Amino acid sequence: MDNPVFDTIKNIDDLPTLPSIAMEVIALSRSPEVSINKVSECIYKDPPLATKVLRMANSSFYRRGSNEVDTLHRAILMMGLNEIINITTSVSVLSILPPKGSEGETLRKAFWNHCIATGLIARHIDNKLGMRSMGREFVAGLLHDIGKIILDEYFHKEYMEAHAFSIDVDCPMYDAELEVLGTTHMEIGHFLAQKWDLPGYIADVNLYHHQPIDAKFKDITALISISDLLAKAKEFSFGGDRLSFVLSDQQAWHILKQMGYPVHILDLERFTFEIEDIGEEVNRYISTVSEPGTEENVHERI
Amino acid sequence: MSEFKPSAGTAQMTDDTFRLLRDFIYEHSGIYFSDTKKSQLENRLILRLRANNLSDYDKYYYMLKYDPQAAKELRSLFDSVTTNETSFFRSPPQIQAFQEKALPELMLNRENMGEKTLRLWSAGCSTGDEPYTMAIIVKELLQENLCDWDVKIFASDISEKALRSARAATYNEYTLRSVPPEIKKKYFISNGTQYKITDEIRMLVELQYLNFNDDKRVRLMRGFDAIFCRNVLIYFDDTAKKRFVSQLYDNLNPGGYLFIGHSESLHNISRAFKLVHFPGALGYKKE
Repeated sequence: MDNPVFDTIKNIDDLPTLPSIAMEVIALSRSPEVSINKVSECIYKDPPLATKVLRMANSSFYRRGSNEVDTLHRAILMMGLNEIINITTSVSVLSILPPKGSEGETLRKAFWNHCIATGLIARHIDNKLGMRSMGREFVAGLLHDIGKIILDEYFHKEYMEAHAFSIDVDCPMYDAELEVLGTTHMEIGHFLAQKWDLPGYIADVNLYHHQPIDAKFKDITALISISDLLAKAKEFSFGGDRLSFVLSDQQAWHILKQMGYPVHILDLERFTFEIEDIGEEVNRYISTVSEPGTEENVHERI
Repeated sequence: MSEFKPSAGTAQMTDDTFRLLRDFIYEHSGIYFSDTKKSQLENRLILRLRANNLSDYDKYYYMLKYDPQAAKELRSLFDSVTTNETSFFRSPPQIQAFQEKALPELMLNRENMGEKTLRLWSAGCSTGDEPYTMAIIVKELLQENLCDWDVKIFASDISEKALRSARAATYNEYTLRSVPPEIKKKYFISNGTQYKITDEIRMLVELQYLNFNDDKRVRLMRGFDAIFCRNVLIYFDDTAKKRFVSQLYDNLNPGGYLFIGHSESLHNISRAFKLVHFPGALGYKKE
């Protein structure tokens, strides 16, 4: 179901593209030939990226044990190939999506804060429920709303209108987007994830995080759906999404329950209190990822 | 959880001890101290350490957990972890949740039923800041339509002294610190240092003495659309808490909301309510 906005975005020549190294790493991850050496060699071809990945691997979000991980090879051994690929994807996307909107930083910042909070909350729930998403939950949370950035970047005036509409009418952003732009951030995000050849679950989460029942990757989409709501409940929201909701009545909650995840063990009140400090975690994540990487220190580490 | 190591005699709370105490307090009171509140808990408990002549927090934790006299200490502990302070528009996200979400929803339901009545209860109203805040919110929402509605806000407390203060309805600047300036101008009459609530707001509130242990009288409080009972449950033991909360459930109309203190929970007390997430606050809904 195409519309003028969607068509325009599809035909924009200068849509941001993923760094070639990130594309190579993601492609490698799907190849039967994948190996620790191949992945680490590939990442080292982009020294600033390698620095960022190593810094992430050594941050409190990922570090296990007390020894510093000084090479990618070691990081992969310790954390697993998947986690390194997830970190590479997160860091790459964060580095290319415009950090500043035309309205200045405020809204863009709110946007990224929401996405990072969603990823971190997903990580906490994943742990509690023993879902073993292996870091995919963080990437999926981080990237579930990329459609919003693209809409804001290329249709800024209309997007601001949709934003104001959602506040005035007190409706979700996707309803406001449909009203003003005729498309939604879910469609655009799905398109972009496919264009960038990101893993299928990321495209799926983009399209279905407001309706996880239709997703192919149901568990991770349901997880992100819930994390998205909780991030909003912690007032990490973007636009008029000042929602109130009963978590245990959500479609996503029923999906996780039906799939056999022990949702009943989650003390929702306590969990809500526990994520009270999520803002600090978000800030820590941002400062870890945004220190500029330099070639020199990577070479020292190699 | 990492291994528990009692520290040497300094009164500093280690992260491990903080987690043990935090979990203990949550299990016994439903009150949760998040990681950033460690120093707050430390400051509150230092007095309990001194009172019990203990040199560190680990010993205090051991005492709570294993000493046969711990039940008595628990009460003092809860007294020191709760802030017995009330003010207008206290815990803004909760007030906003009531104002922007719960109240409009409740009113719409009432209107759909063809009954323009609204019954609210500030259970444990102290000096009246909370019920008058509720009254101001209702007035702001209904504006001139208020006269079409039958609105009553019951406000009860066990302290006669607090009730006298509530009746006088006169407050100082500090109590009004979270009140938006335009609201202050509209609903308070100031003589420079003191602020008195206007009559139109005062008339919406009915103050009364009520002891929550008086089951018969508590049972008579029926038909409420919303109950605020913030930082009250802490003073009850488990059995009393369960009884009282189940009574509050009965006191609410279907669709009605209960709001408790912002760091309190109904953990281990009641599963009858639906937990509702509002931006920055939790509410409990009777279905």
